[in-house]
Amino acid sequence: MNDKKRLSSGLTVTSKVFVMSRHGGATKIVREHYLRDDIVCYSKACNKCSSLIKSNPQGEMPNIALSDVPNKIEGSRHYIVLDTNIVLQAMDLLENPAVFYDVIIPQTVLEEVRNKSFPIYQRLRTVVKADDKRFIIFHNEFHQDTYTVRSRGESINDKNDRSIRKVASWYHSHLNDNNSSSPIKIVFVCNDKDNRQKALKEGIYAKSLSEYIEMLPNADYLRELIPSDNKSFTIADEMSYQEYYPESRILGGIKNQTLFKGILNISRYNFLQGTVQVPNFKKPLLIVGTKNLNRAFNSDLVVVELLPKDKWRTPSSVIVEENTVDNDNFEDDEENEFGNTNSIIPDKERLLLAQEASKAINLASSDKIKEEEKLQPTAKVVGIVRRSWRYYVGQIIPSSVSSDDGGNASKYCLVMLMDSVLPKIRILTRKGKELLGKRIVVSVDSWDSKSKYPQGHFVRTLGDIESAEAETEALLLEHDVEYRPFATNVLKCLPAEGDDWKVPENLDNGDPLLAKRVDLRDKLVCSIDPPNCVDIDDALHAKKLPNGNYEVGVHIADVTHFVKPNTALDTEGASRGTSVYLVDKRIDMLPMLLGTNLCSLRPYVDRFAFSVIWELDEHANIVNVNYMKSIIKSREAFSYERAQKRIDDSTQQDELTKSIRILLKLSKKLKQQRLDNGALNLASPEVKVHMDSETSDPGEVEIKELLETNSLVEEFMLLANISVAKKIYDAYPQTAMLRRHAAPPSVNFENLNEMLKVRKNGMHISLENSKALADSLDNCVDEKDPYFNTLVRIMSTRCMMAAEYFPAGSFGYPDFKHYGLAVEIYTHFTSPIRRYCDVVAHRQLAGAIGYEDLTLSHRDKNKMELIVKNINKRHRNAQFAGRSSIEYYVGQVMKQNESVQEGYIIKCFSNGIVVLVPKFGIEGLIKLEDLGDSNTSLFDEEKFELSFTDFQNQKRKVGVFDKVTVDIKSIKDEITGKRKVHMLLK
Amino acid sequence: MQLSPAERDYLYDSLCLQTPIRPDARNLYQFRPLEAKTTFLPGSNGSARLRMVDGGECIVSIKSKVVKNESVNSLLECDIDIQGHRDDSNFVSNLKYNLTNLLTKNFPFDALRLTKKYSFKLFIDCIVISHTSYPLTIISLATYLALKTTRLPLLVSEIDDEEVEEQPTFSDDWEDSRLLHEITGQTFQPPIMITVGVIGKNLLFDPSLEEEQVLENGLIISFYNNKAITPISNMNLALNANKDNYKGIDQSLIISAINMVNKYCSAVIHALDTLIEQDDEVDGTIF
Repeated sequence: MNDKKRLSSGLTVTSKVFVMSRHGGATKIVREHYLRDDIVCYSKACNKCSSLIKSNPQGEMPNIALSDVPNKIEGSRHYIVLDTNIVLQAMDLLENPAVFYDVIIPQTVLEEVRNKSFPIYQRLRTVVKADDKRFIIFHNEFHQDTYTVRSRGESINDKNDRSIRKVASWYHSHLNDNNSSSPIKIVFVCNDKDNRQKALKEGIYAKSLSEYIEMLPNADYLRELIPSDNKSFTIADEMSYQEYYPESRILGGIKNQTLFKGILNISRYNFLQGTVQVPNFKKPLLIVGTKNLNRAFNSDLVVVELLPKDKWRTPSSVIVEENTVDNDNFEDDEENEFGNTNSIIPDKERLLLAQEASKAINLASSDKIKEEEKLQPTAKVVGIVRRSWRYYVGQIIPSSVSSDDGGNASKYCLVMLMDSVLPKIRILTRKGKELLGKRIVVSVDSWDSKSKYPQGHFVRTLGDIESAEAETEALLLEHDVEYRPFATNVLKCLPAEGDDWKVPENLDNGDPLLAKRVDLRDKLVCSIDPPNCVDIDDALHAKKLPNGNYEVGVHIADVTHFVKPNTALDTEGASRGTSVYLVDKRIDMLPMLLGTNLCSLRPYVDRFAFSVIWELDEHANIVNVNYMKSIIKSREAFSYERAQKRIDDSTQQDELTKSIRILLKLSKKLKQQRLDNGALNLASPEVKVHMDSETSDPGEVEIKELLETNSLVEEFMLLANISVAKKIYDAYPQTAMLRRHAAPPSVNFENLNEMLKVRKNGMHISLENSKALADSLDNCVDEKDPYFNTLVRIMSTRCMMAAEYFPAGSFGYPDFKHYGLAVEIYTHFTSPIRRYCDVVAHRQLAGAIGYEDLTLSHRDKNKMELIVKNINKRHRNAQFAGRSSIEYYVGQVMKQNESVQEGYIIKCFSNGIVVLVPKFGIEGLIKLEDLGDSNTSLFDEEKFELSFTDFQNQKRKVGVFDKVTVDIKSIKDEITGKRKVHMLLK
Repeated sequence: MQLSPAERDYLYDSLCLQTPIRPDARNLYQFRPLEAKTTFLPGSNGSARLRMVDGGECIVSIKSKVVKNESVNSLLECDIDIQGHRDDSNFVSNLKYNLTNLLTKNFPFDALRLTKKYSFKLFIDCIVISHTSYPLTIISLATYLALKTTRLPLLVSEIDDEEVEEQPTFSDDWEDSRLLHEITGQTFQPPIMITVGVIGKNLLFDPSLEEEQVLENGLIISFYNNKAITPISNMNLALNANKDNYKGIDQSLIISAINMVNKYCSAVIHALDTLIEQDDEVDGTIF
């Protein structure tokens, strides 16, 4: 079956036969496989391949990357051929600029990597593309001389190993048999001992990763970064987790619904407890204890099996407080009777169990039975479909580093990760002591069923704990924010003129797209932004028309003029999804040049823009709307404050000021209309950290203040977004990029309403529609306490759903509704510099108005789903990162300012209360022990009240919504290195 | 080719002789020469192409599918397609029935059993590209060759799925696949059907088109595990012959036909097996 057949010169065909086993079937598959003789070796030192170099169908020439004077190793110049295991285990080293230049990646390796770990595959592709490290991919499977045939009885792994070795030997003879002027050694780096020995037998110069590193001059530095070789871990059987089920059993189980697949979500309050939401049940299944969690990480895609009914739980009435993570020997509260759960339970019984579980869940969500009788089904993890492993930031636990660490030998130590829902990770390092007190990055390699902790390796250090750089980088890493500088191939997509780029003076230069632009440079456009804003997305203009109506224009930076689809720049923007704003730093979605200059609608210069121009009547109703690509010239860039002053200053009577006054007038009407429609005015305890401009040390914290001009800009942006959403939905009913905000389910508000009812004389938040909700929020007023309304708004915000992006085809029109804004359809259009959604909306609008054709990827529903999924995730991560950044700086501010503040109780448990301090926008738990005598405390669950005897021997009673005075200080947790708010009731 | 009355008489007489003379000089128990090639369809689990010296040609392809255990009868499905005949014609239906019936009654179904819940189902597709004499022989022989060379993917998941469901999973390496007899560990000799012509007191194996036209009767005898088995049936083998010669059959002739099959058919099987063996060695073109 494997005979080659010559088709034409240089092209032969052979076939591959294999069995495809899918959904329980087995199909014999025969694929034709074409072999060529004109695949180049990509080496500059090669004299043979030059005649073979051809351009690809796009007319691009291949990049002959391998240097003709590669680095020397033991005196001779060398190229490296990598085995798959090196890429999978040591991707960090491959990315490290100190090592690995002139590397050949056989196609076999690339494919194996892709099958094993897609993230690593993408990183490998990035390294190859970046071409500063001179990595090449050699398509050995298609090369006549390096193609290998699987021989009888050979496993696919052995066959692949052989293919990779063949690449090494082919390169050796190709380059060194009367070809290259100076000999080039081919080093085959491989961590598989068996493969290495085979290679040596075949005369290939093979080294293990550590052997190779030791040969380098900078070995001392690099040695630490070598990932742990799993086999070198010799850990006594300290634990025995249940082995995962084989794939066949998992697939079969999922099919007949005795096993369930879902994403594991570990509780924020207890890292030994998690839930898995599976489609079969209305409520998530509970997973309790390390043995049942069975080595799963938070957000892994896991397969679970129900536990017998006698192990199901009643919900605990005591809220589990944040776990004492420093307790190394945390006792599991589960019984160790795994012996009998291992015995096989037949499917029939398990199906019955699943029915029981369904019943129990239905019963628990009804009010018919008592709290104590509500059973929650529990389950255990029996398989992991996809690991969520990534880089983790953490710090070494001091007690895990032995103090008599004298020698240079590697020692095990435990790393506590910043994310409290993740287990500790065991790493092997020589520098345990040195790394104490540092934030370090580690990567997880494996978790053996015999090992108590997952095994990983040290990647690098970020710096001292609590230093601004280390903490900032840590939170970027933790929230998966890409913060590395833009790669060269991305920067290549920018205009060659750089900062000198200008709008062409001659508008009739033959460019058909330029001819379609409307020249709006005569309009009195200005921008209003926060002070010192450099990425100006939007500008406005307004003027009174002869017929008494108003012409209002919103002009948005024309990012898509520079970011063309299917370029490296576009891909990078799409994957970053959004800019991330930290207290002291901004991580751009697009390179600086675009964001702060070419796209930014700076004053006094010509800029390309995408304009939406309305004709509005006296009551701000839309009479007419037009969309156009344009050229504008902003007259002025105001800050909110300056714009406000100018409006208020009645001596200013120039046209520009007048037009801002028109805008203000109209915006107030728009806002009123919106509020009348039921737009919500929610609140979050947002604070701003002022930085000392010289030292960048955080100075003080202030609550954000809003001016009229803030809402001026906001209203017109909303209007533009709504108008654009309608337009692109008309043009692309399946793929238009939209944003929706679902109505909150009433269960979210149950608890809050109960609290209001009991503690605030029957106040109530109605949920019939957003209008009712908005009105009822307005009615939640306590005359004695002006802040109370804001407090309720903050608490309501937490009950709301998150808004999300979606392609129009994913929902029916009624579900497009944006609940918070009370509009039928909405999108994001106005900030293309910092959000990718807006970039897509721009392209779709350009397509809708016939300016240019829309790229296929924004017309294809599946591709849009991918884009949307990514930007939703990025958007969320960016928010979290921003919040963590504020949290960190607030902590730093409080470090110096121990103070007494006013706070509000927002939650009350039998063993503590949660207090929100508006001044700092922080909340903290005060445990019962810190309140007073825990023995005399009484918790009234009905009334959300806790009464206790305090340390002054006085009886006290506190409850939700109570205003309290608290003593705040910031305490550093020595284990996690995180600052925590510590509050005491005064 | 239609024979003239004179030719028919001549042929009839020479076949009725004490020592009959067949037009192609064969012995009574001799088959016509045939050539065949196995496993030539890359996408099938097993395949064979068989050609008789008279130009009759048949292709058989066997494919497998994993199914939930059903009754054994449904694990084999035969389909026959004959050039120039409607699929629902009596001619094709009879052949299909004969073949299906023969195979389902004489098949090692254990070889198809995967787990307690799953089995392989075999789809046997025969295409007769051309034929002159009654095509059952070539269909049956080609099916024999195809079944003998049918490989089934190797199950790598648990065999016991009675209590706990397992989704069958197979080795991705085609080289791991096994022949049916390798799975059962016993010799596997698929059943075949032999056409025997009856003329006078003589019986002749594998009658040719010309012989069929003068036969007094035709017998179809099955052969499995080195002996003649049921079903045994008689029919007029010639498709368009006038029925002048056709008559009843003497009981004793059936006995001697069975004896003849018992005596000589092992040699036929042996020849086919040898063909498969040699087929493995010879690479390259199909005919």
